[in-house]
Amino acid sequence: MTARRASIVVIVLAAVLALAVSGPAVSQTPKSGGTLNITQREDLPQGFAVHETGTISTSWPAMPCLSNLVFFDPLKKVESLDTVIGELAEKWSWQDNYRNLVFFLRKGVKWHDGQPFTSKDVKFTFDMLREAPDAQGKLRINPRKDWYTNIQNVEAPDPHTAIFHLKKPQPSLLLMLASGYSPVYAAHVPPAAYRTGCVGTGPFKLKEWRKGEFVEFVKNPDYFVKGRPYLDGLKYIVIVERGTRTAALQAGKVDVAFPGETTKTTAEQLKKAVPQLVVTPYSQNVNDNIIMNVKKPPFDNLKVRLAVSHAIDRRALVQAVQQGGAVIGASMAPKPHGVFGLLEKDLIALPGYGKPAEEKDRARKLLAEAGISPQKPLKVEMVTRAIAVYVDMASFVINELKQVGIEATLKQVETAQWHPMATRGEYQIGANLTGIGPDDPDANFFENYGCGSPRNYSAYCNEEIGKLIDAQSQELDARKRMQLVWDIQKKIEAEASRPILDWKLDYFTVWPHVKNLIPHQSIYNFGRMQEVWIDK
Amino acid sequence: MKTYIAQRLAIAVLTLFGMSVVIFVLLRLAPGDIVDILFASAGYVNAAEKQAILKDLGMDRPYWAQYVSWITQILTGDLGKSYRYDLPAWQIIKPLVPVTIELALLSLVFAVVLGVPTGVISAVRQDTTLDYVLRVISLSGLSMPSFWLAMVIILGCVTWFGWIPPLTYVSPFENFKLHVIQFVLPALAVGYRSSALIMRITRSSLLEVMREDYIRTAWAKGQNGRVVIWRHALKNAILPVVTVIGIEFAFLIGGLVVTETVFNLPGVARFLVQAILWRDYPVVQNLVMFIAIVVILSNLIVDMLYGVLDPRVRYGS
Amino acid sequence: MAVRPVGAEIELTLPAATRRRDSLGAALWRFIRKKPLGAAGGLLMAVMLITAVFADVLATHDPIATDAAHTLAAPSGEHWLGSDHLGRDIYSRIVHGARVSLIVGLASTLLGSVLGGIIGLLSGYVGGKTDLVSQRVLDILQGLPLLVLALVMSASLGPSIQNVVIAISIPIIPRAARVIRSSVLTIREMQYIEAAGAVGVSHLRIAFRHILPNTMGPFIVLCTAQLGSAILVEATLSFLGLGVPEPYPSWGRMLSVSAAEYAQKAPHLVLFPGIAISLAVFGSNLLGDALRDTLDPRLRGSS
Repeated sequence: MTARRASIVVIVLAAVLALAVSGPAVSQTPKSGGTLNITQREDLPQGFAVHETGTISTSWPAMPCLSNLVFFDPLKKVESLDTVIGELAEKWSWQDNYRNLVFFLRKGVKWHDGQPFTSKDVKFTFDMLREAPDAQGKLRINPRKDWYTNIQNVEAPDPHTAIFHLKKPQPSLLLMLASGYSPVYAAHVPPAAYRTGCVGTGPFKLKEWRKGEFVEFVKNPDYFVKGRPYLDGLKYIVIVERGTRTAALQAGKVDVAFPGETTKTTAEQLKKAVPQLVVTPYSQNVNDNIIMNVKKPPFDNLKVRLAVSHAIDRRALVQAVQQGGAVIGASMAPKPHGVFGLLEKDLIALPGYGKPAEEKDRARKLLAEAGISPQKPLKVEMVTRAIAVYVDMASFVINELKQVGIEATLKQVETAQWHPMATRGEYQIGANLTGIGPDDPDANFFENYGCGSPRNYSAYCNEEIGKLIDAQSQELDARKRMQLVWDIQKKIEAEASRPILDWKLDYFTVWPHVKNLIPHQSIYNFGRMQEVWIDK
Repeated sequence: MKTYIAQRLAIAVLTLFGMSVVIFVLLRLAPGDIVDILFASAGYVNAAEKQAILKDLGMDRPYWAQYVSWITQILTGDLGKSYRYDLPAWQIIKPLVPVTIELALLSLVFAVVLGVPTGVISAVRQDTTLDYVLRVISLSGLSMPSFWLAMVIILGCVTWFGWIPPLTYVSPFENFKLHVIQFVLPALAVGYRSSALIMRITRSSLLEVMREDYIRTAWAKGQNGRVVIWRHALKNAILPVVTVIGIEFAFLIGGLVVTETVFNLPGVARFLVQAILWRDYPVVQNLVMFIAIVVILSNLIVDMLYGVLDPRVRYGS
Repeated sequence: MAVRPVGAEIELTLPAATRRRDSLGAALWRFIRKKPLGAAGGLLMAVMLITAVFADVLATHDPIATDAAHTLAAPSGEHWLGSDHLGRDIYSRIVHGARVSLIVGLASTLLGSVLGGIIGLLSGYVGGKTDLVSQRVLDILQGLPLLVLALVMSASLGPSIQNVVIAISIPIIPRAARVIRSSVLTIREMQYIEAAGAVGVSHLRIAFRHILPNTMGPFIVLCTAQLGSAILVEATLSFLGLGVPEPYPSWGRMLSVSAAEYAQKAPHLVLFPGIAISLAVFGSNLLGDALRDTLDPRLRGSS
C-alpha cells in the first residue's frame, strides 16, 4: 500500500476511534423495559391527592400517574415559558391580550379506568380548585386556592376545548398550570378517592400502594404519547431513616435519590464510594428565610428588622449550615438557576451581603437607634420546626444575632403546631423554609408577600409592594416585567419582613444506567418519568 | 387452680380497661391532632376546613362519647378506621403483625441459643477468666443501645460488602433465602440484648441451685458431674429463665421499634411510631391495647407455667 | 428461687445504720477488693459524674459553635474526637452530653423511684384495699413496654428537657413500687416490727424509722439498675427525635439524622457517641450488680 493510502487509512481509523471515544456526545437510542427503584422519603401523607397537599412527599410519587394541561419539558433543565410543552392540551393560545387562555385538548385520551378524557374534567378540576360556587367537586383542604383567584370562569364549549376566562391579564397562569402541582383530576372520580388511589391519564398506572412500604406503578399501554413511557414499571420505596436511605443508594437497592434530600457532603461521600454515580447539583426552589411578626413589638420596628437582616452573614451560613450546598439570593431563585434572580450588583447591595464586620456594625447602629445596646439587650424567642435541618439553621442565626446584641432562645415547635402558630402570629421571630412550585413571581409573591395571604406569616402588608405585585402579574412585556420583579425583590429586602438567607441546592444522585432524568430548578416539576429509560 | 385462673383473668380485664383510659387520655393530651398534621402537609391552615374535617372524623364529639364509641367498637371486633389512611385499621395492621412476630420470635430464639449455654458455662466455671469475659460480653449487650447496634451493622454491610439487606418485605414463599437474610441481621441485633439478660439469669439461678443440698448430695453420692448439672440443676434453674423470657417479650418491643426503623422492616413496632407522630388515634389506641394484651397474656402464661413447674408457688400472691 | 427461713436473715439485713461502726473508707476498700468489677463500674460512673460536673472545664470547644471550615474532620490535635457535619467538636459535645444524660437519667430515675417507692411503701405497709387498688394501677402502668409509654408521653408533652424527664420517670414508678413493696412485705413480718407495733409505737414511726431504712438496700440497687435503662431510653427517644431538644447536646441525638448518613466519611460520628452511651450504661450496670450483691445477698442476682 502506498504511503498516501496508508495515511488516509490512519486518518479514517483515528476519526472512527475519536467518534467511538466521544460516545456520550452521540445521543443514544432509548431502550424500552426495566423497572426503576426510586427513593421515597416517607409514606405518602395523603396518598395521591396532590391538590390537597403541598409537599414533595405526595407530588413526587403521584406525578407518574397524573397529567397536566401543559407541563415543563422534562429534558430541559431550566424551566421557563419557553420550555412549556403540551400534555393533555395539544395547542393553546392566549386571546384578548392575555385575558383568555384557550386550550385545544388531545383527542382519544383515556383515564386509567377506561373512561374518556374530555374538557369536562378540566372544568371540574379548576372549578373545584378556585372553589367556584357551582363547582361539582370539593377539596377538604385547598392549599393553592390563591393561584386561581384570577380565573373568572372555565368554559368547556366542546369536549376538546377548554377556555379560561381571567379577570385580569396574567401571562404567568400558564407557568402555574405547568407545575407539578396542577394536574387534572377526573370528573367522574370523587376527589377523596385520590387519597387512597390514583385514577389519572399519566404514563404509569398505579399497581399497588403498600402502606408504609412502597408504591408500585406499571406502564400505561394506552398513554397518549406513542412510544412512551420507556420503562415497564416504577417502584417508590419508603425509607424513613436517613442513614439507611444513603446506604440503599450506595448499595444500588434504589437507583434514584429523593429530590431535595441529598446534601453536598452526602453526595461527595456517595461519589467516593461509588465513583460512577451521577450527581447533578440544582436549586430546589426552596429557600431558608427568617419570618418576623410585624404586628407585635419588637419587630414592628423596621430598624430592628433591618438589623436582623444585616446581622446574618449569608455566605457564612451557606458554608456553616449547608456545607456550601446552597447559593445566596433574594426572594426569587438566583441566577443561573432561576430566571428572575437579581443581578449580582444588586444582590450584594442588599442588607446582609456585604462584609460581615461592616454589616454587623450597621446592625448594632440600627439597634442603638431603636434603643437596644449590649447593656440593654433585646431578648426574644425564636421558633423553628423540630427538625434537624431547621434547628441547625436557627442555631446559626441565634449565634449571629448574639453578636449584635439580640439574645434569642430557641423554641422547637412540632410539625402539627407550626402552621397554626405561624398563621395566628403567635411568635416573634422564626427560622423558616419555603418551597415554591414553579419559578414564577406570581406563584411566589401572592402567596408569601400578599396582604392577608395565609402563608404570609409575617402578616406583612405594604400597599406599594402589593400594587407592584399586581402590576408585574399583568405586565406583558418580558423585559418590563423583569424590571418590576427586580424592583419588588429589592423593596422586599429593604422592608426586611422576611429576609431570605439562602437557596438550597440539591445534589440529585442517580446510578449511571438511569437516563433522561434531569432535575429542574424546582423539585416539584420533573417527576413525570415518561422520558426516563434504563441503559442495561 | 380454676379459681386462680378466673381471678387472674378478671384482674387482667380490669387492667386492660384501665389501660384503655390511660392511653385514650394520654393521646389527647398531645397538642395537635391529625387535622393539624394534614394541614402541615399542605403548608397552611384554614379554620373552617379544619372544623369540617374534624366533624367528618367524629372528633368534634365530647371526649367521653368518643371513648365510649371506641370501646364499643373494639368489643364488637371493629378496630376502627385509620385517620391517616382512611382505611380500616385492621386492614393496614394485618400484614405487619406476622413480620413483627417473626422478628420477635427469631430474636428470642437467638437470645436463648446464645444466652443459656453461655450462662451454664459461666456458672460452671464461676470466677474464672472465662466467666469474667463472658459476663463482660453479655453486659455489653445490655449496655449497647440497640439502634446503635443496628446502625453499625448496616453501615458495616454497606462499607465492607457494598450491600444491605432487602428494604421491602420479602416473603418466605417468594424467596426463602433472601427472606432469611432479611430477618437474621435484625434478629441478631435485638436478640443480642435479650441474650445478655438470659445469660445472667441462667448463670445466677444455676449458681443458686448448685449450692442446694440435694445437688451436693448427688455429687457426694458420686454421680457424674455433668449429669448432675444437666439433669437436676438445670431443670430447677429453668424456672426463672422461663420467667425472664416472658418478661423479655415485653422488653423486646423497645428494641423492635428501633430495629424495624433502621432496617426498614414493615412491622407493627415501626408503624406504631409513625402512627404516634401522626396522631392517628384509632391506630395507636388499638395497637397499644394489642401490645398490652400480648404482654398481659404472656405474663399470665408464664405465671401458669411457674405454677405448674414449681408446686410451691402454685397459688401465687 | 428457693424459699429461705426468715429468721436466719435478720442479722444479715439489719439496717446499714447499725454497721456504720466501720469507717466508710474501710468499707469502700473491702468493696473494691471483693467486687473488682463493681468497683470498675463505680469508677466509670465517677468519671461520668466528674465529666458532667466539670463539663465546661473539660471541654475544649463550645459544644454548639459551628465551624464551617472544619466539617467532618477526623480526630486530630485540634479536635480530639473529630468534628461533625457542622464543624462542632465531638469531644466537647460528648462531654456536655454526659451532663445531659446524667441529669436526665438521674432526675428521671430518682423521680420515678421515689414516687414508686412511696407508693410501694404505703401499699406494702398498709395493705388491704389500698394495696389492691394501687397494685392494679401499677399493673396498668407496667403493662406497657417502657419505650412505648415513654414515646407516647414524650409526644404528648412536647420536646423539652423537663418533659423528657417526666416521660422516662413514669414507666419507672411501677417497677420501683414493686421492688419496695415486696421488700416492705418481708420486713413487715419480722418479729421486731410486730413487737414495736404491740408496744404501741405509731405506724408512721414504724414505717419511717424501721421499715424505710431496711428498704434502702434494694432501693439503691433499683436506682442504679434503672439509671442505666433511663440513659438508654433517653438515647433512644433522642434518636427517634422525641428526646431532649437542641441546643442541649444529647448522645442519642448525635447518633440520629446525620451520623449514619456521613458515617462512611466520618465513622467517628457514629462510634464515639455510641461508645459513650454503652460505657455509661455498662458502668451503672456493673455498679448496680455489685451493690446488689453487697447490700442484699437475698437478691443476689445475675452477675
